Amino acid sequence: MTTTGNDHTTAETIDPGLLAILVCPIDKQALRLAGATLTCTACGRVYPIEDGIPNMLVDEES
Amino acid sequence: MCPTRRGAEARRPEIEAEVGVDVKESVQRQFGAVAANYATSAVHVHGPDLAAMLGAVALRGDEAVLDAGTGTGHTALAFAPRAGHVVAVDLSEPMLEQGRRLAAERGIANVAFARGDVERLAFPDASFDLVTSRFAAHHVPRPRAAAAELARVLKPGGTVLLADVVSPGDPATDTFLNAIELLRDPSHVRDHSVLEWRGILNDAGFVVDEVGTWPLRLEFASWVTRMGTPEPSVAQIRSLLDAAPTEVRTALAVEADHSFSVPVVVLRGVRPQLAR
Repeated sequence: MTTTGNDHTTAETIDPGLLAILVCPIDKQALRLAGATLTCTACGRVYPIEDGIPNMLVDEES
Repeated sequence: MCPTRRGAEARRPEIEAEVGVDVKESVQRQFGAVAANYATSAVHVHGPDLAAMLGAVALRGDEAVLDAGTGTGHTALAFAPRAGHVVAVDLSEPMLEQGRRLAAERGIANVAFARGDVERLAFPDASFDLVTSRFAAHHVPRPRAAAAELARVLKPGGTVLLADVVSPGDPATDTFLNAIELLRDPSHVRDHSVLEWRGILNDAGFVVDEVGTWPLRLEFASWVTRMGTPEPSVAQIRSLLDAAPTEVRTALAVEADHSFSVPVVVLRGVRPQLAR
């Protein structure tokens, strides 16, 4: 928490409470954590975790 | 007329491919460059509107809170000591990094940060007891979609607290204020009026009341510096302020150095207990 911009990553640093409630922003279905990504178990869209911060943005056209 | 318009429609994708940037992308570009300015901005760190938000809802201490459009996290960090945990969401990754740094500096461990879009939130229905949003709503391209999402993720009986700069309401001042806001910040969408916000929240199913309204004095130099507004645009804003009609000068309390004041409103919306 006290460092920024280093290479600590993903499953260890993403907030467990946040991880527990996140869903796919498109279809609101459950996500599967694998390495540095969260993958929707329904539609397969992939959301990266960047320096511990999940990126849940979607392309507008998708 | 018809063929011309169809021609324009047909050309639009090509234009977008060259220069088109959507509002959300614009927000990310705009705030990515100036995130550090917002971590220390007095307007954002303090303010009677933030104190009023904290007083506008009685918290037990175990609530789940969402701060939508958190920026550098000031509102999330203010609510964190009074709640169970806070999720702070913003489009801009550099703003969130600043928020995470501020949380660490203050020893606040119950705030989690996520990049996300308030029009399409990555949370299940009925996830939160309280949703806050401060100085963010004027960036939202589709406020009705966002309000519906906030209602969706709130538990029945949950509260939304919305704070933002609002248009004073009369058409001349409305146009003027939104024009200078856009010159300052290309990602600005609209300072709505209180009446517009009440309508948007009402239509999303909230029972709305007004917590209060406060004048926010925007010191001109820091207002444009914070956003990194280019000098030609700053000159245009000064020129508009110099030429502003009397009604607008009065409504915005324009000062000799181009500083001016805008109303900030805090609205409270409660999601009814019973499904509508």
